[in-house]
Amino acid sequence: MQYNHKLTFKSYLDLAQLLKQYQGSHEENRHFALSHKIQGIPLVLLWKDKNLYRVVDELDSSRYLHYLKLFSSLFGFILLLLGFFTGFALLSYSGAEPVNVIYLLLVMVGLPLLSMFLSLLSLFTGNMGARIFKHFSLLYYLEKAINFFPFAKKIDFSALPFSATLSKWIFLQRLQLFSFLFALGLFLALILTVVSKDIAFAWSSTLAIDPLAFQNVLSLLATPWQSFFPSAVPSLELIEISHYFRLGDKLDVNMVQNADKLGAWWKFLAMATLCYALLLRLVFWFIMKIGFKKQLKKELYTLPGVQKLLKEFSTAVVSTVSVKEEQHLEVKEEPTLLASEILSDDYAFLLAWNYAEKTLMLLQDQHKVTVTSTHVVGGRNSFAEDKVIIDTLKGKVLIYVKAWEPPTMDFMDFLADVLAKNEVDAVEVCPLGTVTEHYASKKVDMEIWLKKLEQITSEKLKVIDV
Amino acid sequence: MSSYPKFAVVGHPNKGKSSIVSSLSLDNSIQIGNTPGTTQVKRGFPLKVDGEIIYELFDTPGFQRARRVFAWLEEHGDVSADKRADVVREFVFKHKDSERFKDEVELLEPILNGAGIIYVVDASKPYGAEYEVEMEILRWCGQPSMAILNLIGNEDYREDWTRALGQYFRLVRTYNPMTARHNEHIELLESMAQLKEEWTKPIKQAISILDELYDKKVDESVEVVVDYMVEVLSFVHYQKIKEEEASGEEKEEAKLAYREKILKVEIKERQAIEKIWNHTDIEKNEASLELERVGLFSKESASIFGLTQKELIVTSAATGATAGAAIDLLAVGHTLLLGALVGGVVGGVGAMFGFDNLYEMKVLGQSIGKRELTIGPMQNLNFPYVLLGRSLYHASMIAKRSHAMRGDLDLENGSFTQELMEGESRKALEKLHLKLRKGEELKEETLEEYKELIKKRFLTLL
Repeated sequence: MQYNHKLTFKSYLDLAQLLKQYQGSHEENRHFALSHKIQGIPLVLLWKDKNLYRVVDELDSSRYLHYLKLFSSLFGFILLLLGFFTGFALLSYSGAEPVNVIYLLLVMVGLPLLSMFLSLLSLFTGNMGARIFKHFSLLYYLEKAINFFPFAKKIDFSALPFSATLSKWIFLQRLQLFSFLFALGLFLALILTVVSKDIAFAWSSTLAIDPLAFQNVLSLLATPWQSFFPSAVPSLELIEISHYFRLGDKLDVNMVQNADKLGAWWKFLAMATLCYALLLRLVFWFIMKIGFKKQLKKELYTLPGVQKLLKEFSTAVVSTVSVKEEQHLEVKEEPTLLASEILSDDYAFLLAWNYAEKTLMLLQDQHKVTVTSTHVVGGRNSFAEDKVIIDTLKGKVLIYVKAWEPPTMDFMDFLADVLAKNEVDAVEVCPLGTVTEHYASKKVDMEIWLKKLEQITSEKLKVIDV
Repeated sequence: MSSYPKFAVVGHPNKGKSSIVSSLSLDNSIQIGNTPGTTQVKRGFPLKVDGEIIYELFDTPGFQRARRVFAWLEEHGDVSADKRADVVREFVFKHKDSERFKDEVELLEPILNGAGIIYVVDASKPYGAEYEVEMEILRWCGQPSMAILNLIGNEDYREDWTRALGQYFRLVRTYNPMTARHNEHIELLESMAQLKEEWTKPIKQAISILDELYDKKVDESVEVVVDYMVEVLSFVHYQKIKEEEASGEEKEEAKLAYREKILKVEIKERQAIEKIWNHTDIEKNEASLELERVGLFSKESASIFGLTQKELIVTSAATGATAGAAIDLLAVGHTLLLGALVGGVVGGVGAMFGFDNLYEMKVLGQSIGKRELTIGPMQNLNFPYVLLGRSLYHASMIAKRSHAMRGDLDLENGSFTQELMEGESRKALEKLHLKLRKGEELKEETLEEYKELIKKRFLTLL
């Protein structure tokens, strides 16, 4: 499939609609960027082309551009006709009175130059100019009102991504096109009238215009073509003989005598229309087109999601997560084993798991438990040393453990060995806190011990929480 | 063997190994519990850049039968120091399928495959000699190693621990995964880079990647906060009404819809921030937004064919003038443009006075007129600061939150509103708030300026 990376109005609208629904993940977008050699806006547009299938609704662009084309064509046609008939009306010549060139020049050159000036003005007045001008465009209102026609495809214009500036460029571009068509109608009317009728042109004004001054103005207007088409530049003689005054019943004798020469004006009028109303308009249309494209590109960067996309294209995907799925451990909320709060009066043996000898003495001093024999187990002891101690055990055994250290399997093995000894009648495990906690265990630590110790099913086992 | 650096986080059960891995890998999905054995198998957490691994962290189960393992090693390891790692390897090989030593096998495997050792202890609890067996086993592995002093509780026994650990590990560092911020994360990585010469370069690379990632997250958060402010402050709700003036019920309904939208946007903003910082699925305690005194702008208006009365007047005047001008043209200017003038006046005045009659008209069975009530944007001058204060507070709390944290996020009593309202930047912030209140289109420069201010504020909170 061939993709077009050029930014068009359609691609802009499509991208805006796609981004509202889908923006892809960083990983997908970065992978996309790495697999293509282009970057920036062309890459964004290529991304849009590849992902546009995700938009399942009708594209906004098809609906909007449908109306834009429809109304533009309709208006264009109307303005072409209007220009054509205006031209015929302006050139209507009964033979009683010549066609006033000044009036023609005003419509064929003056009006286009004025609208071009206004277009230029709107470029330099920012959005304000556009806001004023758009109210003079029926197209603007027709587009707004379109949703009221039940047969029309509904468009939410407020949801379309147009800023006032972009709307201005759309308007200005269309204004050039419509003006061009109007001028084309005028031009065609002029040519057709000249071909089919014998028209006498003259010039007349209430103002006292000197023919020489008038010639200078016309020569100035004719500058673009006077070198290669000198016959289309009115001569001073032509200007002088075609000057007429409204007063009087009859035409000037001089004019009548030179009637054959008066028609020569048409070349100038045709060239003036061609140059100022048509060619210059095309230049303006081209400028507006470039301006529109530039604005479109500028606004594309501000479309919600575009910056994110560009950032994701250029930023490496950093991942820190594991690919291996975690084996979740089912954790019991509450232990079922209960701890007793009272230590027995006397024990045959006191074992201190992972404690140092010195600490054992302190513990004894704190709890004042009567015991026959005390031993330190675990910790630095070897298994052989622990085995010797286990072999000597009998009767009731108390084991001090560090409450904050969770029971390891090392301890569980040791406890199982103690419990397995027939001579041992009872084993009480007492988790103790730190010195600063006055050896009192914390609830959370106690629960850990209870949950672990309840895995051992022995009636000999008891847990003490002092 | 892969060339990138690997680190196995090992230690006694329940000393915060998974919390440290969670914090370093910025992943809050790792199961962390106070039940020993929560981590049952080793899991690798690679730092990947465009698929390429820069380094890998391994979360491992804790030592369960360290004394038995060491007893086995001593029994089989009457060898010189350079051969001790082979004895450990032999142990792992022989007990690969043993249920009894499955935790030790899991934790030793990555080390024997070249991973550096990160030994974790809880320095808020007293030192115990039982740890020495574990440290001995790790020493036998012969890999570069460091110890991390994690402070789970309130007490501090770091001095004792440092004295002991210093005998076994090249480096001893303090790192609390629950409170660690980005700079502490980076400092720890810098320490890890010192463990082996070949690891320095990739870890330095990782540091710069993580720094960039952090900056990117800050920028993205600022974007989200700014977008949220723009959306909320400029939001306008439109509602159809029956009469010329909205009834009390219609007004209430519109206000409710407005508030719902604002709350929805706030939720969306919160989720976006949490996604950026990879803190999804966290429970938050946050006071709901008080929208009672937001001061909403409201206006009833009517339109015909979607055009307001003003627009209709302009349209009609323009149409009338165009029609009149056509007559002028046909009369070759003899009418002195009176046609355009009269046409324009008739069209404009007609639309002005005929608006109400036109409103009632039906075309193709459909009424061409529409009345609506407009609610918003919010007019209260201080409310934007309430929104911004809440938003920045939430964003900063999320950004600072360690991935090792599992509890609810408390936002009940925090906000940044006061600081924003009293700060020097209020004037600059107000510039944008005013534009949004007026419904003006924002210039790129204004938005950028606003972003800069928000970013500056946001960074002071991190």
